[in-house]
Amino acid sequence: MLEKLKAQFGDAIESAEEAGRELRVQVAPRSLVQVARAAKDEGFAYLADITAMDTNDALRVVYRLISFATGRHLVASALAPRAGGRLPSLTAVFRGAEWPEREVYDMFGVRFDGHPDMRRILLTDDWEGHPLLKTWQTK
Amino acid sequence: MTQRLTPTETMVLNMGPQHPSTHGVLRLQLTLDGEVVLDCMPVIGYLHRGIEKIGEARTYPQILPYTDRLDYLSSASNNLAYVQAVEKLMGVEAPERAKYLRVILLELNRIASHLMFVATFANDLAATTVFLYGLREREPIMDLFEMWTGARLTQSGLRVGGLARDIPEGFVDKAREYCTFLPPRLDEYDRLLSGNRIFRVRTEGIGILPPEEAVDYGCSGPTLRGSGVRYDIRRDEPYEVYDQLEFDVVTTSTCDCMGRYAVRMQEMRQSLRIIQQCLDRLPEGEVIAKVPRTIRPPAGEAYGRVESPRGDFGCWVVSDGGPQPARVRFRTPSFYHVAALPRMLRGWKIGDVVAILGSVDVVLGEVDR
Repeated sequence: MLEKLKAQFGDAIESAEEAGRELRVQVAPRSLVQVARAAKDEGFAYLADITAMDTNDALRVVYRLISFATGRHLVASALAPRAGGRLPSLTAVFRGAEWPEREVYDMFGVRFDGHPDMRRILLTDDWEGHPLLKTWQTK
Repeated sequence: MTQRLTPTETMVLNMGPQHPSTHGVLRLQLTLDGEVVLDCMPVIGYLHRGIEKIGEARTYPQILPYTDRLDYLSSASNNLAYVQAVEKLMGVEAPERAKYLRVILLELNRIASHLMFVATFANDLAATTVFLYGLREREPIMDLFEMWTGARLTQSGLRVGGLARDIPEGFVDKAREYCTFLPPRLDEYDRLLSGNRIFRVRTEGIGILPPEEAVDYGCSGPTLRGSGVRYDIRRDEPYEVYDQLEFDVVTTSTCDCMGRYAVRMQEMRQSLRIIQQCLDRLPEGEVIAKVPRTIRPPAGEAYGRVESPRGDFGCWVVSDGGPQPARVRFRTPSFYHVAALPRMLRGWKIGDVVAILGSVDVVLGEVDR
């Protein structure tokens, strides 16, 4: 899988690491949708989750794709700036991407281009700020 | 005489957030053409407590009780997904006895949760008797939990490295007793529901979810297997001792409400099979491994994954080497199932909404986190 991705996407696969059943790759945002589509064609048809974390330098958005046939996990990350970040949406590839992408927007403020309904999901529409940023203080 | 046609227009109807059959605070904004559902927009978040944010300010052991309150009908599954991730980070493994006991606790949770499903699902479809029966049969399991963990619902039964405590004296006998008590009761439910004409008319062929779309929406558990996809984390990514136990992964190919119901009914019998095998093979020994008092996993990330009664329950933990995680993320099956509801509801009548929602068996505690 890794060889295929490297052959097809070259330096858009910024780093890669095998960890047990997981193949962890960092993908350049410009190739994210194409990598997702290629992975889906290779049997990674189940999008288990999209989430993110604040590394203090950037926001790392993490996609977990699972192949039912092989039991492998493809854990793809893409980096976005901490403020005003944008990434391409995977909703055209996986229907299940719609809600977790809304949650990443709600909690971290990353907007997804091409998303059909880019609104907050868990918090109210008039909420200010994005609580899972490290700079957001709980009271 | 000429007949005047009344002009019609679509109507928006809010079902919930307080509604007897939304099973918690879920709001469904339905767009209706007469009785027919044209579209549905679920509105969630009413139960959001910010558990993932809270987790970043708590030590590893302190987080465990919060996980009980995600899918509160199956706290052991939530516990285990979190504990698995932390154990992977630390390189700790639970003793053999703890692994068997964990499986017993998990499967008892599954039966209790599925009984609650049958009870409420039947009640939604006006079979109130079965509601009372389901809760009655769930009661002895609650007593077992109370006897073992001291709590009936939010058990916090697991610990990093094993279990909070060993089973008390008399537990094995009581659990065996339950394994012979339940099957005739399940037969009774079958007679009351599975062959009941009203129940069948309201569930058969209703709320179709084709298998490819179930996968595409990230559906899992009985919702996925009710659409004929044979995928069960207990078999496909086995944890604890599931790879040494015999059980069938139940599927139905009807993709409808009846199919999702039938999967859970059969799964309860499979859970009893699993519990009996564990009771037979239960080894002696410790129930918790040696774990340092202050848990500081080395920097890194790990993912725990459990087949909860509702499906794929995942927990992603990122450590920076400190006593509190840098990130703790809960991937909950009901979140993805509520997202797939509009697909299942479109085109059906408003009377079917309750049946379809009930058949997916969502818990809002894990949707909103």
